[in-house]
Amino acid sequence: MQQQTLKKKQAAVSSRVKTLEALFLGELANLQSVKYHSAQAVGVVFAVSLVVQAWALANVFSEMALHQSFSLSYLVIGLLALLMRAFANFARERICADASRAIRYDLRRKLLSHLTKLGPARLIIDEDAALSTRVYEQVDALDDYFSRYKPQVFMVALIPSVILLSVMSVSWITFFIFMLTAPLVILFMIFVGHKAAQANRRQFNVLAMLSNQFMDLSQGLAELKRLGRTREARDRLSDSATAYQKTTMGVLALAFLSTATLELFASLSIAMIALYLGLGLLEILPWQVGSSPVTLTQAMFLLLLAPEFYLPLRQLGNDYHAKQKAEAAATDLLEIMNAPIQSPHLQTQKKTSTTETETQPPSETAYYYAIDGQALLRFKDLSWFEEGRYRLAPINAHVSQGERIWISGESGVGKSSLLHLLLGFEENYQGQCLINGQPFRHLNLSNWRKNLAWLPQTPEWVNGSIRRNVLLGITPPSEQAIQTALIKSQCDAFIQALPDGLDTKLTELGSGLSGGQMQRLSIARALLSNADVWLLDEPCSGLDNETAQAVLTTLEQASKGKTLLIVSHDTHPILWADKHWVLTKRGLHE
Amino acid sequence: MSKKLSLKRLLLANPWYFAIPIVLGVISSLAGVALLGISGWFISATGLATAMGVGLAFNYLTPGAIVRLMAILRTAGRYGEQVTAHNHLLSLLRTLRLWVWDQRVAQNPANLHQQSRGDLLQRLVSDLDQIIRWPLVVFLPWLYALLSYGAVSLLAYIILPTLLWPLSIAALLHLLLVPYVCGQFASHAVHVGQILGVHRRSRFISVFSALITLTIRGHWQTYAQRLKQLDERQRQTEIRIQNAISLGRLGCYGVTIALLAVSLFMVGEYQADTGRWGLLADVQGTWVVGFTLSLLAVNELVLPLAQSFVAQGQSQVGLRRLNQLQPDPSIQDKKTIAPIQQMQFRTWRGFHAASGMGNAPIDLDIQTGDSIWIGGASGAGKSTLLAAMAGDCLSSGNALINNQTCELYNNPSYQAQLSYLPQSPYVFQQSIEANLRLGNPNATTESLWSVLDAVSLGDWARALPNGLNTLLSSQGRNLSGGQRKRLALARLLLRQAPILLLDEPFDGLDTHTIEKICESLQGPYKPNMLLLVSHVSSPLGNQSRKITL
Repeated sequence: MQQQTLKKKQAAVSSRVKTLEALFLGELANLQSVKYHSAQAVGVVFAVSLVVQAWALANVFSEMALHQSFSLSYLVIGLLALLMRAFANFARERICADASRAIRYDLRRKLLSHLTKLGPARLIIDEDAALSTRVYEQVDALDDYFSRYKPQVFMVALIPSVILLSVMSVSWITFFIFMLTAPLVILFMIFVGHKAAQANRRQFNVLAMLSNQFMDLSQGLAELKRLGRTREARDRLSDSATAYQKTTMGVLALAFLSTATLELFASLSIAMIALYLGLGLLEILPWQVGSSPVTLTQAMFLLLLAPEFYLPLRQLGNDYHAKQKAEAAATDLLEIMNAPIQSPHLQTQKKTSTTETETQPPSETAYYYAIDGQALLRFKDLSWFEEGRYRLAPINAHVSQGERIWISGESGVGKSSLLHLLLGFEENYQGQCLINGQPFRHLNLSNWRKNLAWLPQTPEWVNGSIRRNVLLGITPPSEQAIQTALIKSQCDAFIQALPDGLDTKLTELGSGLSGGQMQRLSIARALLSNADVWLLDEPCSGLDNETAQAVLTTLEQASKGKTLLIVSHDTHPILWADKHWVLTKRGLHE
Repeated sequence: MSKKLSLKRLLLANPWYFAIPIVLGVISSLAGVALLGISGWFISATGLATAMGVGLAFNYLTPGAIVRLMAILRTAGRYGEQVTAHNHLLSLLRTLRLWVWDQRVAQNPANLHQQSRGDLLQRLVSDLDQIIRWPLVVFLPWLYALLSYGAVSLLAYIILPTLLWPLSIAALLHLLLVPYVCGQFASHAVHVGQILGVHRRSRFISVFSALITLTIRGHWQTYAQRLKQLDERQRQTEIRIQNAISLGRLGCYGVTIALLAVSLFMVGEYQADTGRWGLLADVQGTWVVGFTLSLLAVNELVLPLAQSFVAQGQSQVGLRRLNQLQPDPSIQDKKTIAPIQQMQFRTWRGFHAASGMGNAPIDLDIQTGDSIWIGGASGAGKSTLLAAMAGDCLSSGNALINNQTCELYNNPSYQAQLSYLPQSPYVFQQSIEANLRLGNPNATTESLWSVLDAVSLGDWARALPNGLNTLLSSQGRNLSGGQRKRLALARLLLRQAPILLLDEPFDGLDTHTIEKICESLQGPYKPNMLLLVSHVSSPLGNQSRKITL
């Protein structure tokens, strides 16, 4: 849905050059438009109190200079206006931070649910650890953009206009100084900013390269220690950092030129206005000798407003990196959001609940059974065509209850896709997939899934004890049943050797358990879940040959009586399988 | 370089590099305050001069020149400060990375393996990035504000010495109290936030790595709910930090307003006849204008302080985490070992620190010229035994080197004499040549080629368009497992260490390649002692003494 609107919007503004990232950020900001509008209203209060403060203080100052005394009411107005500014600033900050939080936490929820729906397909984008960086760190990297840059863009337009308006009636010359410098500042900002952005990017890349080098050498530190080459590696780190530092001065000098331009204009304008006003007050302006263009109060007023005129632009210049950072993060986030979901999980369930009544009549079910006989699974011209090529070539096959099937084939022919389809994560297939004679799409997905056990290449673990992990998501069976399953999967020996036995904690680091032992635990889990259909995706690919053979032998004995679909390369043949399917780009060969 | 890291050390790391941005920044900040103050004085003085009829005699050239000078100083100073400060930042980054490197080099192997996981290292790197910014975002703004206060005090002293009282109280509030209170108010939240961040991340990885199992069992929702709760808690800490910063800034404004009110109150007295506030007799109105304007300029310098002290809390959390890297001082066997002639192991057992799993105790004697093939069932602890013999893994029992008891674990002088090929060796993201030269930096190009031929990678390397200069991708991902292992083996062979320990070197290789490697290991690259763990039979294994675990 969101992508579609995004694409439409993109088409609409295709005449203007706007990147997908900028659009994405704009889209997100629109979600909180109410908050941004109120922030803008507060911004107006801020701008008005700015002018009031300048006016009141100007009066105080001129009276003080000329008469050595001043009216208290002006001072009170001036200080109240300053207080008003402080509160407006406070409110604006809170509102914008709130908007940014709402956007970010909402986006994070969306990302999480999207990743959930992607299921196994999420790993195409990246591994889980890297995804977590995107979901947490990268989303937070948007903060400065939404809380500072985005609202500041409005202030940059607002404050100078308000100041120009109030200056117009006071002094035309000052008005023109402002009017002339403002576009010049912006022009120079764009001109220098473009170069600076390039320089910035280059610096960013080289810094990333340095980080990369540090990471690489650090990860291989154990190896370097064994080779006795840590000193050389340290010199290498040191040298490249020093070399980079030396060459980077030029880049930095350019990168900061845009801020310097702004500063220069701001400073010079203040100085120019001060000089002009001073000379004017002395009545010795070359074109106006003997009379003053402004009164002292007006001069003070102009002087107080001069720095404020350039301040918002300067702040925007400082926050410019926030925009770059946000756009870089948006690239990574868009990759997740744009990954197509194959199975809108909830929709499927809704659909099944409505269609259930239609497919429920026993006669119809019996009819399907009559056709399919014993087949538990039947594929009819099942294929998956996407982006102009087959991810799974059309296949015809059937699996009976209790059959064990070895699926092999070169990578990329859709072996895993087939399993993902049976798990209910791929819906956009063509042809038919029948379960017990019922079309897969009409199936009650959660009931079907309860029948499944899933054993992927890297076993699925949560932080917690071995017990918690093998009982993950099932009602705890008796201790006897657990023991039986552990013996069947040949886990009992090594678990007994562990000091804490079944209660040994498994963390992300593992617990010193080998890959083979982890796979055996997966087998125990599958046994305990009482699932009839086991789906295995290259369970042995991470293991050495010997361990793999041992695991396969265990699997052979443990899975008797179950329906098994096991994907495995020819290097790990499943000799005890009832059937061997070879998937190729043209289809399936038994 | 092995001392504890502290914020003070960050400041003093490269004092000369740091002095330049400080001086430039101070000049720029003071010029900014002076620009506004002098302009205010100048305008009011000119106005006064004209009103008093002495306008033509007024010396406007000097103040005018000063105003322009200040404008230029402010710009040039700010620019120079930014450039040099970032240059300093880079040198700090270098210093700190080298510090982290030194700490990690001093770690013992078991800890090192634990820290070498990608995401932990990633966090380390981002901690570094966080704390190197401390001098720039916390220390420098604070220093500028302090010095501007000093400059304004000078002006206040000239106008009316008693003005120093409200000024010093305001300075105390602005520079110390408000930032401190903000920092305190937020510090707990900052701390909790950092811990939550780590926790949330590991929960995410843990839950998502079991996504499919949880989904098919219908329990995904409850687990996902927990992630949302953690996120909600994170949001609360974020709100708290934000509140601290915003309130701090509001407080700064309040202090400025009070300071303005009190100062203007002190320089004058109420004139009952006109209902106005008249300045004291010896106070110049024009100077007061300049003073008030400089106070407004100082206010701008003080505002960022509330935020910077919250950033200080973040830097401190980062520092604490980095300091945890410091290894415990361990006693190392410093004595050098004579060339190893024989090794004896008595009731020797290697085991992993975390689980205590390893091999059953063995007795083993090895002499120069020996070649031993260690076999045994999967899970018997062959790899652990070999790693312990390589000094990479904890062990129990006695090891005698040249008939002398010797601690093998983490003993550099022992490890200098051996080459150990672990099950998954690391290939660096460098060229093939650089990877090989880690074995022997002085090797000739011919010897590089011959060692590549020895592990039968020579033809592969010759076929590459860039030959030995081919850059390998991160962790050698563009190599197959077998190639990676052979490249690492080639690197070890270049070292020509007397003892060679090989863990499953033939996994995933065809018979022809295995024969070729065995030939090299029995011929030109024959080590004095060889220990081989392999489940595949090979010519090398067949000619070795075989022990089974």
